[in-house]
Amino acid sequence: MSLAWVVMQKDLRLAWRNRTAWLSAGAFATISVLIYSFAFDLATRDVRPLLPGVLWTTFLFAGVFAAGQSFQHEADEGTFDAVLLSPASPTAIFFGKAASNLIALLVIECSQLVLATILFNTALISAELLAIVFVGTVGYVSLTTLLSIMGSRVRSRAVLLPVLSMPLLIPLLIGAVRATGASLGIEAGTAPWMLLLAVFALWSTLISALLFPVAVER
Amino acid sequence: MTALALRLLNLRWTVLPPATGIAMMAMIVGALVAAPREIIEGEVQRLMYIHVPSAIATYGAFFITFVASIMVLWKRDMRWDALARGSAQVGVLFTALVLLSGAIWGRPIWGVYWTWDARLTTTLILFLIYSAYLLARAISDSTDEQAARYAAVIGIVGFLDVPLIQMSVRWWRTLHPQPIIFTTKPALPGEMLIVLLIGFVAVFLLAAWLISLSTETERLHQRLAGVRAGVDRHEGA
Repeated sequence: MSLAWVVMQKDLRLAWRNRTAWLSAGAFATISVLIYSFAFDLATRDVRPLLPGVLWTTFLFAGVFAAGQSFQHEADEGTFDAVLLSPASPTAIFFGKAASNLIALLVIECSQLVLATILFNTALISAELLAIVFVGTVGYVSLTTLLSIMGSRVRSRAVLLPVLSMPLLIPLLIGAVRATGASLGIEAGTAPWMLLLAVFALWSTLISALLFPVAVER
Repeated sequence: MTALALRLLNLRWTVLPPATGIAMMAMIVGALVAAPREIIEGEVQRLMYIHVPSAIATYGAFFITFVASIMVLWKRDMRWDALARGSAQVGVLFTALVLLSGAIWGRPIWGVYWTWDARLTTTLILFLIYSAYLLARAISDSTDEQAARYAAVIGIVGFLDVPLIQMSVRWWRTLHPQPIIFTTKPALPGEMLIVLLIGFVAVFLLAAWLISLSTETERLHQRLAGVRAGVDRHEGA
């Protein structure tokens, strides 16, 4: 566990030093929220029915985009083999990477919530919504971290990663959008959707933690 | 034991093609001629004899991909990768067939080609997942073991995702008001049931034969790539 902590610190430190990668993910998220507001003319109507979908498509695409970068660096520098040779077990490497991705993505998502609160004049910072965002992000980050190792092996990763991960993430998207909608008062009852989100988060964390070590083993 | 299994496996080149052909002919004759005309739905109902078996065959093919993907990670044998790919190809083909025949049937019966019904949506998502799997495998080298292992991860995750997809899509569609599509399902009369059973046999045989063929093709691809690499090394030396 402490090794996972070390890997996470290392990845966060790299993410901080190499800020452009994460800044571009944040910029991507910002621009997509803005594009949605132009495309759907969100300012002039009752925006609330559309907001959950806008937020979660933005989060998912930014998340997949960012996850692709988490192994880009390792692949470019050829350091992934070195990390695998280190005393850290592959499981620890996975948890470290997923945790650092999670933290960076939560920062991006919270900034998007603030931005959307301002742009759409809807209170989006509530404990309930933050809980939904957290559980949802845990759900997709482990899966995208697992799938992003594909990126080190194939060409045209930029297209491949969204094509691979989005269909797998559809249950999460449905659950997250509905739960967010419920917390904004668009539809009644968060309970089943929160349950779905939690089950998905548990499922994806478990399966990714199990499969990552066998997949990267040389 | 292994010798017997191998002998049985070799039958797929001699027994399977004619058996498939005969069963397919029987299914076509049965579906088009022998089976009675459905009173309410009319001729288009005859699509059922290929649609329903294809849907089941789809799940079978993806299950084979799932098992073969586990074996890729476990045994590190590229033959399992060939089976996983070959089976996924046939699965995607049959999913497309199911979606297409369903749309042709849906237009006159439901009034629409497509509706976001739970079962249709699940099938579409399966189609997307395994198409992505094939895409991922196609743009990496066929002899690349690491890429095969990564693809196997998708083969496993994709199959284990199915219950979650079904759960989410069902809740999604039922919590929303929807026109009722599936009304009470009448039990099938005897003749229709027999034709449907023949359809099952025919489609399963066809799927098995196609999986054998596509797996063998993948194997040949792998061997060809291996030979090519050998020649390159030889010329380089």
